[in-house]
Amino acid sequence: MAATPTPLEVRNIKKRFGDTEVLKGLSLQAQKGDVITLIGASGSGKSTFLRCMNLLEQPDDGDLIVHGEPIRFKTTKHGREPEDWKQVVQMRAKLSMVFQSFNLWAHMTLLENIIEAPIHVLKKPKKEALEHAHALLDRVGLSARANAYPAQMSGGQQQRGAIARALAMDPEVMLFDEPTSALDPELVGDVLKVMHGLAEEGRTMVVVTHEMSFARDVSSQVIYLHQGLVEEAGPPDQVLGNPQSPRLQQFLAPKY
Amino acid sequence: MIDLQGYGPRLIEGAGVTIQLAVLSLILAIILGLLTATAKMSRNWFLRRTATVYTTLIRGVPDLVLMMLLFFGGQIGVNAISDMLYYNYDIDIYINFNAFAAGVLTIGFIFGAYMGETFRGAFMAVDNGQIEAGKAYGMSSSLVFRRIRFPQMMRHALPGLSNNWMVLLKTTALVSVIGLTDMVRVAAEASRATHEPFTFLIPVAVAYLLIASVSEWIFARLQKRYDIGFGGQ
Repeated sequence: MAATPTPLEVRNIKKRFGDTEVLKGLSLQAQKGDVITLIGASGSGKSTFLRCMNLLEQPDDGDLIVHGEPIRFKTTKHGREPEDWKQVVQMRAKLSMVFQSFNLWAHMTLLENIIEAPIHVLKKPKKEALEHAHALLDRVGLSARANAYPAQMSGGQQQRGAIARALAMDPEVMLFDEPTSALDPELVGDVLKVMHGLAEEGRTMVVVTHEMSFARDVSSQVIYLHQGLVEEAGPPDQVLGNPQSPRLQQFLAPKY
Repeated sequence: MIDLQGYGPRLIEGAGVTIQLAVLSLILAIILGLLTATAKMSRNWFLRRTATVYTTLIRGVPDLVLMMLLFFGGQIGVNAISDMLYYNYDIDIYINFNAFAAGVLTIGFIFGAYMGETFRGAFMAVDNGQIEAGKAYGMSSSLVFRRIRFPQMMRHALPGLSNNWMVLLKTTALVSVIGLTDMVRVAAEASRATHEPFTFLIPVAVAYLLIASVSEWIFARLQKRYDIGFGGQ
């Protein structure tokens, strides 16, 4: 038994959209400092799985335990729902998400984006939030853009800003939903570099990605999903270096 | 200078009534409009249904009829309440259903329905990713509304809102039928008494134009304020 509770554990998550079962019972356990990458073809359910972890999607079945605290569910006529939304709100404050399309709040400057949730959700004093925000901006190399609005920034800058926004919450676990997929190729490197740094300092991360080199270099565990099921999982050397299933072999093979 | 034949002060008073009536009705209409829009987007069947009945009713019945219904109906309702209080609890009060309140209620009620449609469209125009980011950072629904949904919705709502306001402003002229003395009623009385309609109606028209111009200026500033961050600086 570890001294601190497991930051994030999900068990047997199932989800269907209409007649299609997209998640057929997925589990994952992120210990402190783990970097878990989810890979798979589009439609394999990896983003939906990630979105079930902070309940942006409601799983039809399965357990979600954040920092040792299980989320309670009830069944209504709309399907399965959290019993207590206050619990969900508190849980989400512990998991920061970085989105594929950044989703920085468009009506706020970058700096305002970063201090927004710490002030209004975590109730941090403004002065403290600002100090932290400036340190984070410095870290992601965006100090000069503190007062820019998202629309005035490049995609790479927006995503690094979004990572700073996520870090400002001092999250237990960071969830990344294809953070580099919407970026121009030349902007991907800066974002990956920041993520690399986070992994090195021991952040717990769950990353949906198509960046195989990132998965290989920083993951503690790689999970390959196929049609809503785990096809292969394990350390990157094993899963990426020596894939067993023909499907994964084909997925990893050069496409040209 | 035109000779207002002693009606000047009453006209100004009437203009005051017009402005107060319009502003208070607008506030009520905005509140009702936000509630209606929320109800229409709710997944609760009853709320959706109620909101639809409300907007259908308002849009199908003439403003004038609604105003009289509410005013006379309101007085009957108030009388019934005071009777009930007297017979059952021996409390003797007489409440006069105030014409000004009736005016504000009716106009607010009518325009709440139009605002509801304006707001609904505006809410739907907000990118869902913006809302999701709020949720993902632990914001409660009310916090998401105050900090993200509302400020981002406003830039889509303002053109419709300003349009509704202009129509609302002119609708206040109907209140003379329930005995309120707004500037149109004063002008009409003065015209009849002096047989000089233009002397009074033209200043009234100019006053409306003036209010409309000031409003347009205010709405333009608001639009600028809510366009910040959307490439509208």
